[in-house]
Amino acid sequence: MLKFLKQVTDYLKETRDAAKYIGQGLAVTFDHMQRRPVTVQYPYEKLIPSERFRGRIHFEFDKCISCEVCVRVCPINLPVVDYEYNKETKKKKLNSYSIDFGVCIFCGNCVEYCPTNCLSMTEEYELSTYDRHELNYDSVALGRLPYKVTEDPMVTPLRELAYLPKGTIDPHNLPATARRAGQRPEEILEKMEKEGAGKS
Amino acid sequence: MDSGIDLQGSFIQALMDLGLPADLAKVIWIPLPMLLIIATATFLALVSTWLERKISAAAQQRVGPEYMGPLGMLVPVADVIKLLIKEDVMPAKTDPWLYTLGPILVFTPVFLSYLIVPFGQHLIITDLGIGIFLWISLSSVVPIGLLMAGYSSNNKYSLLGGLRAAAQSISYEIPLALSVLAIVMMSNSLSTIDIVQQQSGYGILGWNIWRQPVGFVIFWIAALAECERLPFDLPEAEEELVAGYQTEYGAIRFMLFYAGSYVNLILSSLMVAVLYLGGWEFPIPVGVIADWLGISETTPWLQIVTATLGITMTLLKAYFLLFLTILLRWTVPRVRIDQLLDLGWKFLLPVSLVNLLLTAGLKLALPFAFGG
Amino acid sequence: MLNQLAALSLPTRSLAEGVQIVTLVILGLMMLGAALGVVLLPSIVYSAFLLGGVFISIAGLYILLNAGFVAAAQVLIYVGAVTVLILFAIMLVNKQQDFAPVANAWIRKGAAALVCLGLFALLSTMIVATPWSLWTGPIAGDNAIVVIGLHFFSDFLLPFELVSVLLLMALIGAIVLARREFLPEDRLVQQQGDAALTLPERPRETAALTGSTTPRP
Repeated sequence: MLKFLKQVTDYLKETRDAAKYIGQGLAVTFDHMQRRPVTVQYPYEKLIPSERFRGRIHFEFDKCISCEVCVRVCPINLPVVDYEYNKETKKKKLNSYSIDFGVCIFCGNCVEYCPTNCLSMTEEYELSTYDRHELNYDSVALGRLPYKVTEDPMVTPLRELAYLPKGTIDPHNLPATARRAGQRPEEILEKMEKEGAGKS
Repeated sequence: MDSGIDLQGSFIQALMDLGLPADLAKVIWIPLPMLLIIATATFLALVSTWLERKISAAAQQRVGPEYMGPLGMLVPVADVIKLLIKEDVMPAKTDPWLYTLGPILVFTPVFLSYLIVPFGQHLIITDLGIGIFLWISLSSVVPIGLLMAGYSSNNKYSLLGGLRAAAQSISYEIPLALSVLAIVMMSNSLSTIDIVQQQSGYGILGWNIWRQPVGFVIFWIAALAECERLPFDLPEAEEELVAGYQTEYGAIRFMLFYAGSYVNLILSSLMVAVLYLGGWEFPIPVGVIADWLGISETTPWLQIVTATLGITMTLLKAYFLLFLTILLRWTVPRVRIDQLLDLGWKFLLPVSLVNLLLTAGLKLALPFAFGG
Repeated sequence: MLNQLAALSLPTRSLAEGVQIVTLVILGLMMLGAALGVVLLPSIVYSAFLLGGVFISIAGLYILLNAGFVAAAQVLIYVGAVTVLILFAIMLVNKQQDFAPVANAWIRKGAAALVCLGLFALLSTMIVATPWSLWTGPIAGDNAIVVIGLHFFSDFLLPFELVSVLLLMALIGAIVLARREFLPEDRLVQQQGDAALTLPERPRETAALTGSTTPRP
C-alpha cells in the first residue's frame, strides 16, 4: 500500500514537472513572438556582402600576362588561358580567358597568386541561370563590374551581423551612420602605429 | 430578446406578404441558417489558417505571408482557389468510392456540429436538448472517414496514418466525454445554452474553469488529440508517414481534409470557450454594467450591443485558445504512439474519472457552487 | 407503423408529413440496401463500412421518431465505437491468402438462404400478429434524457446493473488478455529461444497488484 502511494506521489510529481517544463517552453516561444523577424526579404532587401566576400571573379584583360599561374594554383585547373607566343617581341599575347563558374569553388587561390593582380573577387553572388553553360564566363563577361547593393535604388541594403553595432541583431531601421561593433581597420592600424611609436 | 426567433418570424412574414404560401416560406427559410453557419465556419477556418501562418512566423522570427493582400490576408483565398482548380488525380489501384467518401465523412460531421455552437443567447441554429452530446457523437464518426481514406489510398503510409488516427480518436474520445460529463452534471443539462447560462451571473468568477480546472486541462489535451494538433499529430507525422491518410490526396478532396481539420480546430476552441470560459459572457456581467450606468436591460440598442459583444467574446475566447494551440505547436515535440496511448489510457482516463467523482461529491456537498 | 408514429410526433402539416414520409422511405431503403450489402458483398471491408451505414440509417430513423438522444447514442456507440473497432480488427489482421473456393458452395448458400427466409417469415408473422400498444401520451422529445434516466434507476434498474457488470467483466477480460505477466513462464522462455532476433518483453512492474520487488532499470 505504501509503495502504491509512493508510486502515485511520484507520478503526480512527474506530472507537475512536465506541466512546469511545458509552461517554461511556452514562455520561451511567447518571448520569441515579441522579437522582430530576422528575415531578409531577398529581392527587395539584400545583405551587404562583407569586405572579404568571395563572389564572382573579376578579370582585367589588359593586365594579364598569360603566365598561367592561376591555372596551376587552381584545384581543378579551371581557368582557360588562350594565348599566342609572339616571337618578335618574345611576349605572350592573350587571345581569350574564361572561367566556368558552374565548376569554380570560389577558393580564391587564383586571385591570391595572380602576379599582376588582374584577378579579383567581386561581391556578386547572383549567378543563377537557366543553362549551366551560361556560367562559362569569357573575358568580356569577367570584365564586367557587378552592380553594388548599396547603389541599387530597388534594393534596401542591410548590414550583416558582424557589421551591426554592438547589441543589435536586426539590421532593419538602422541609421546609415550607425557604427559597427568593434574598431574599424584604420582605427586598429592607428592604434598599432601609436603603440609601435610608444615602444620604440 | 428573442432576436433569433424574431428573425425567422419576420423573414417568413415578409415572404408571405409577397404572396407565398406559409409552407413554402418556411421551406425557403430552412436552408438559410445552415448556409450562414457553413459560411461562418468556413470563414473562421480560413482566418485560422492565416493566423496559423502569421503566428508560426512570429514564433520563429519570420515575417510570414506579406504580399498577398494586406498582411497576407488573402493567402487562404489563394489556397482555396489553387486547390479548386487543381487537377483531380486519383492514384492507381485506389478504391474510387471509398477514396471519395472518406474526406466527405470527415468533413460533414464537423460542419454538422456547428449546429449546437451558441454565439449568444439566441444566436444558435438549434438549441437541441442533447446539445453537447451531438458534438461528441458526431465527432466519433470522423475516424471511419479517416480509416476509409487510409484504406482506399493503396498506400502503406496512408493505411498506417488512418489506423493511428482511428486509435487516437477512440482513445481520446473517452476522457473528452468524461470531462464534458462533469460539466453536464454541474449544469443539469446537455444543452450548450444551459451550460453557458449556468456559468453566467458572476462574470469571470463564475466560469467553469475555476470549478473544473482539471477537467479543463483534460478536455483541452483530448481536444488537441481529437484535432490531431501538434503534440498529437501522429496520424500525419511528416517525418514518419509523409502525411498519413492525406498522402495520396490532392485538389478538392485534400481541401476537404484541410478545411475539416481547421474547422474542427475552431470548433474545439469554441467548445472549450462554451464549456469552460463562459461562452458569450463578458468577464464583467453586462447586466451589472447596465445597472451601474442606469440603463434598462430592455433598451433595444443595449440588446444589439449585448448580442454583438456576445459574438465578439465567443470568437475572442476561441481565437485565444487557437493562439495557444499554435504556440504549443512550436513548443512541444511530437509524442510517440505508445506515449500517446499511455497518456490517454493511463493518465487522462483515470484522472477524468476521479474528476467526475470529485464533481459528483462536490455537487452533493456544496450544491450552491456546483449546481445542486 | 413507423409512419404513424412519426406523424404523431409532430403537429400534422401537409408539407412536413410529406417530408417525413419521403425521409422514412429513403432511410428505409438506405438501411435495407446497406444491410443487404453487408451480407452479400464479398469484400469484408466493404461489409464493415456498410455496417456503419446501417447504423447511421437506424440513427436517422430514431431522429425521425423524435428520439434525438437515442440517435446520438446510436451514432456514438455503434458507428463511433463498434464499427471502428471492427474495421480496426479487419485492417490489423494479417491476411495470408485468398480463400479457396469451396466445392458445392451452392448447397451451403441455399441452406443459409432457407434458414434466413424461415427466420424472416417467423419474425414478420410475429410482428404482424402481435397487438402493439401504441404510446398515445405526450412525446418526451428533448425531455427524453430525464425519462430514460428515471427508467434506468427505477423499473429497469436490474438490467442496467447487469449490463454494467457485463461491461466490467469485459474490461477485466481485456486487461487480463493484455497483461503480459500472465503468460506461462515456459512459453516465455520458449518464445525467446525461438526468435533470437526479437527483443524479449520485460514484465511490467505493478506494485498494487503483485507487489513484486524487481527494481526498475
